[in-house]
Amino acid sequence: MSALLRAELIKLRTTRTFLALAGVAVGTSLLLALLVSLLTQPTEDSVLNDVFTSDTSGLFILILAVVGITGEWRHRTITSSLLAAPDRLRFLAAKTVAFAAAGLALSLLISVAVAITGIVVLSARDLPTPELGELVEQIGRNAIVAMLLGALGVGLGALVRNQVVAIVGVLVIALIVEPTVLALKPEVGRWGPFTLPNAVAGIPEEDAGFGGGVESPAAGVAAVAMLAWIGAFYAAGATLLRRRDLD
Amino acid sequence: MDAADAPIHIEGLSKSFGAVQAVSDLSFQVDPGRVTGFLGPNGAGKSTTLRMLLGLVLKDSGEASFGGRSYEQLPHPSSQVGAVLEDASFHPGRSGRNHLRILATAGEHPSGRVDEVLEQVGLTDAADRRVKGYSMGMRQRLAIAAALLGDPEVLILDEPANGLDPPGIRWMRDLLRAQAGRGRAVLVSSHLLSEVAQSVDDVVIIAHGRLRASGPLEEVLGGSGGAVTRVRSADDQRLAAALREAGMTVDLQASGALIARGTAPAVVGEVAAAHGVALIELVGVSRSLEDAFFELTGGGE
Repeated sequence: MSALLRAELIKLRTTRTFLALAGVAVGTSLLLALLVSLLTQPTEDSVLNDVFTSDTSGLFILILAVVGITGEWRHRTITSSLLAAPDRLRFLAAKTVAFAAAGLALSLLISVAVAITGIVVLSARDLPTPELGELVEQIGRNAIVAMLLGALGVGLGALVRNQVVAIVGVLVIALIVEPTVLALKPEVGRWGPFTLPNAVAGIPEEDAGFGGGVESPAAGVAAVAMLAWIGAFYAAGATLLRRRDLD
Repeated sequence: MDAADAPIHIEGLSKSFGAVQAVSDLSFQVDPGRVTGFLGPNGAGKSTTLRMLLGLVLKDSGEASFGGRSYEQLPHPSSQVGAVLEDASFHPGRSGRNHLRILATAGEHPSGRVDEVLEQVGLTDAADRRVKGYSMGMRQRLAIAAALLGDPEVLILDEPANGLDPPGIRWMRDLLRAQAGRGRAVLVSSHLLSEVAQSVDDVVIIAHGRLRASGPLEEVLGGSGGAVTRVRSADDQRLAAALREAGMTVDLQASGALIARGTAPAVVGEVAAAHGVALIELVGVSRSLEDAFFELTGGGE
């Protein structure tokens, strides 16, 4: 398994797509943090959420994971991958863990950069900054979210072979369908796979688009629910992968 | 060696795609130290058979194994089997070296093997270029390099000459012979019959997913009735009667020559001498691989 995992991590590092999207994730996160730090007046209570949750690694690692698994079909590298690792479940598991690890690394890089930027700008403006413990906890939450979304992206991508359909489908569900359900039926929508990460990250309900005064699940419960989603998508993707002929 | 323990053993293999029966009850084996040509017209089921052997296409029934184990059961598959498939594909944005690094890592091969196989296939200078800039022949060489990474006991190549120029084809032929010379079992599918005829020891011929012939090349070229002899004599009618009396099947051709099937020239000569018939011509006739192929596969179907 460790050999397969290392191979998947080399795959990630040796294409420009990953490096380009990771660069965009870093750039957008820092730009957001910079703009919010410069242009708003966060209070002691709101500063952590306003400035230090602008880590966009979750969205980008989700897209990268979908691109990573569907790219195996698009470029037909799935054949050489499965010749090297004929156990299809292990192959999918290695890819899942690799994107979770990539999400962790990307999030830590971004969150630390955001933290440094935010603290420097806020301090220069003589505005409140979070306690170190709070900041470390937020960085940890962001990292967990990125790990979960990286793993979720592989499971989702394993269901659809067409890369464009998979990416558009994920974005439509994440940015349109789930927010709509959350606004109309928050007691249902709060359990959606793209809404739960907000609870894990500690983003307040009003900022996460909740309607009707419904509360987010606790962070731990949300993380467990996310794992359940990942397990379900992994199982469905693995079942399809095992049944598919590579002709 | 028990047949089931042969380097490649296929027994009763079948596969259908919907209403199309791609492979039907196919059985053959590939022995160590020999190059086996896997021949058949387009759509005969060659690629489907190879993909079932490699676990890429799920079989409906039958067995396909390497030394008694299916591909999925091999503990280190790329150390035991190297495969080059017809549509070998690569991520266009990745370099040839990185493609091999990934496979070497997944297969737990020493990282030094990457440079060795790049050298072996003549791609060292292009190793750090992105694959999308490779010619078809370079891609084919990269696929072969990937198959050789684990220095496997078995090599499977589906149309390996595709995209190679004449020197490349000769290099491929030498590579296959060298691998067989080291005791490796080599199974190579090809539609280039003249190329196969120069490279292989054994052939397996299929059509419509069914086995039509298999065995050593000479045996298959000899046809189902064995050797064929063409003979001209001073008295064809008398010689024909003598040969039939000796139990041979004899046809009189329009040109006047006799064709004796199932017998070698020396035997025909002995019969002629015994009956005092003077011979004008006595030659053994062997079919070309192309003749055998068309006869066994039903011509241009």
